[in-house]
Amino acid sequence: MKIVVAYKWAPNPQDADVRPDGTVDLSRAKAAVSEYDPVAFELARRLADATAGEVIGLSVGAASIDTPLARKAALSRGLDRLVLVADDALADADGTRLAAVLAAAVRAIGDVDVVLAGDSSIDVAAGQVPLTLAGELGWLGLASVSRVEAADGGLVVERDLPGGTTVLAVAGPVVLAATADAVVPKVAGMKDILAAAKKPTEVLALDGLDVPAPGATLTTLSTAKPGGGDRQATVIDGADPAAAAAQLVGALRQAGAL
Amino acid sequence: MDFGLTDEQQLLLESLDELLERECPESYIADLDLHHKPPTTFRKAMHEAGFGSLGFPEEYGGTPVDAVTLVLLATRVARQGFNNGYGLELLQAMDIIEFGNEEQKAEVLGLLANGEVPFALGFTEPGAGSDNSAMTTTAVHHDGMVTFNGTKTLITNALQSKYLLLMAKNPGVEDPRKAISMYLVPMDAPGVTTNQLDKILWHISDSCEIFLDDVTLPESCLVGVKGNGFKQLMRNFEMERLVIASQCLGLAECAFEDAAEYAAQRVQFGKPIGQFQLIQQKLTDMAIKIENMRNFVFKTAWMLDQGVPLKSQGALCKRYCAMAAFEVADEAMQIFGGVGVTVGTRVSRLWRDIRGHRFGGGTDEIMVHIAGRQIVKDHS
Ligand SMILES: Cc1cc2nc3c(=O)[nH]c(=O)nc-3n(C[C@H](O)[C@H](O)[C@H](O)COP(=O)(O)OP(=O)(O)OC[C@H]3O[C@@H](n4cnc5c(N)ncnc54)[C@H](O)[C@@H]3O)c2cc1C
Repeated sequence: MKIVVAYKWAPNPQDADVRPDGTVDLSRAKAAVSEYDPVAFELARRLADATAGEVIGLSVGAASIDTPLARKAALSRGLDRLVLVADDALADADGTRLAAVLAAAVRAIGDVDVVLAGDSSIDVAAGQVPLTLAGELGWLGLASVSRVEAADGGLVVERDLPGGTTVLAVAGPVVLAATADAVVPKVAGMKDILAAAKKPTEVLALDGLDVPAPGATLTTLSTAKPGGGDRQATVIDGADPAAAAAQLVGALRQAGAL
Repeated sequence: MDFGLTDEQQLLLESLDELLERECPESYIADLDLHHKPPTTFRKAMHEAGFGSLGFPEEYGGTPVDAVTLVLLATRVARQGFNNGYGLELLQAMDIIEFGNEEQKAEVLGLLANGEVPFALGFTEPGAGSDNSAMTTTAVHHDGMVTFNGTKTLITNALQSKYLLLMAKNPGVEDPRKAISMYLVPMDAPGVTTNQLDKILWHISDSCEIFLDDVTLPESCLVGVKGNGFKQLMRNFEMERLVIASQCLGLAECAFEDAAEYAAQRVQFGKPIGQFQLIQQKLTDMAIKIENMRNFVFKTAWMLDQGVPLKSQGALCKRYCAMAAFEVADEAMQIFGGVGVTVGTRVSRLWRDIRGHRFGGGTDEIMVHIAGRQIVKDHS
């Protein structure tokens, strides 16, 4: 089975500076494999091991996603090889455009059975790339995947949806976006990190790919901090649970919540 | 001079961060400390991720590692506020990998993989502390067997270990350096009894007196060469001092961070106490000590990696770091005021745990004993 893991080399918002006007400066944030993507790496590795398959990492973005550190960070997480499209033309690309480039790269890789992705990226967190990618490829796309296993040449996929769990039989190529807690990813050990330096990376030129021109481009009009609400930060001493519960009910009444 | 990290070191630290966040949060450490329990699940997770066998030869499933990287990792684990001796356990296991027979190696590596402490190290005796050549525990070889008699004390992790790596003397040999051999003795061998010592620090590790009464075992429990015990034990001692120093550094960093955050937030006389110059001076001097420790530890590790003879460097580094780390923890506790001595405040644990490092691995004074002699010799 040929499995692609689409991941993002993303700045960590914990290192971000929020300017007084609410805009976010990520220029000094350290980049890493985006928070939830290791879950997809782990699912892919397990699936590949069960099917004697291959796991190919794929990331597209600005030229800065291709550094020796970025390559090793991805390759140490259970990949067999890596494919990158690193071009500053993609520096501020929106999710739709990134999905189109990812789709072109998946086509260039060829004969891919499954694309796995994380739940959402740590910096943008819109969660729309995997399903847009499925659309671009004309494949089935499933989000909220909590389990995936090989069965009879196809896959059995479990989805964790608000209404309950669904188990599906899936044949044919598919894009799957994993839930953030589908599996606990293995951390990369010294052996994995040392081996990463020896694994192959292929850099695809953006202009060599067959990426359809975007039908529309996004213009951001404004950004703002999410409303935090007026927090009262009332702390209730829990030493005596009954008294604490009474105090909590009192506080909620006072706030008009009850 | 390059103070940067290699890609590999950076990725390894990121992996360790992930593991610490997942397997070793403060609540876990505080619980172990409170209930005097060993960190078995964390050790196991570290082993599974390959951190438990760094430095072991590849044929034993290990990955070679340089001293700088090992020290980076040991410091990082300690910075979690965790006095678990990461690095020291590796060094102890190295003694067996280097000198043990195949059976001993298989046994020790198997226990390590399960997150267990394979053995405690027994050289200190009631009458032989800093002067360990004065030890009186005997090992008498006879008819393919060996019989031990004597008392060891202050032995860390004796109750949670399956074996004791015992240093004992052949009473027939005069020169103490040639009389001491190393043995791997099962803690449940007939004639081995223990008396637990209650102590005020290092609660995740037990401490014991161990009594050996005519403990008789096949000679195959000998580790390495008869009479070479002391040399074998000293084989990794430079590295051991360095790893202890890096633990002191990590624990001190943790105390410093806690104190600096507390100073920024604790309000007295209408402002955060961090605004008072007396508190700022404490934080400044703490920061200077931490910087000095860091430079000392990493320079020493670098020297080891370059094959530069350490001479007294390891002793200087261990003495400075154990003492400076305790000074940092003490000032951190002072910044916390009275709440700093309560059990739920992490700084109280750090203060206790760092104090132990002024004894373990050789006391502050013995480091002077070692380094001072060397300095005078170099200038004579
Ligand atoms: C937390 C902890 C864990 C330990 N774990 C182990 C273990 O796992 N295995 C083990 O075998 N031992 C262990 N020890 C024992 C430790 O190695 C000894 O405590 C240490 O070697 C000092 O010996 P002592 O306690 O007998 O003190 P002593 O040697 O009696 O020293 C008493 C005081 O005199 C000073 N002193 C001694 N000689 C000189 C000198 N020549 N010049 C100046 N001052 C001197 C010492 O520095 C100290 O201040 C541990 C100790 C502690 C506290």
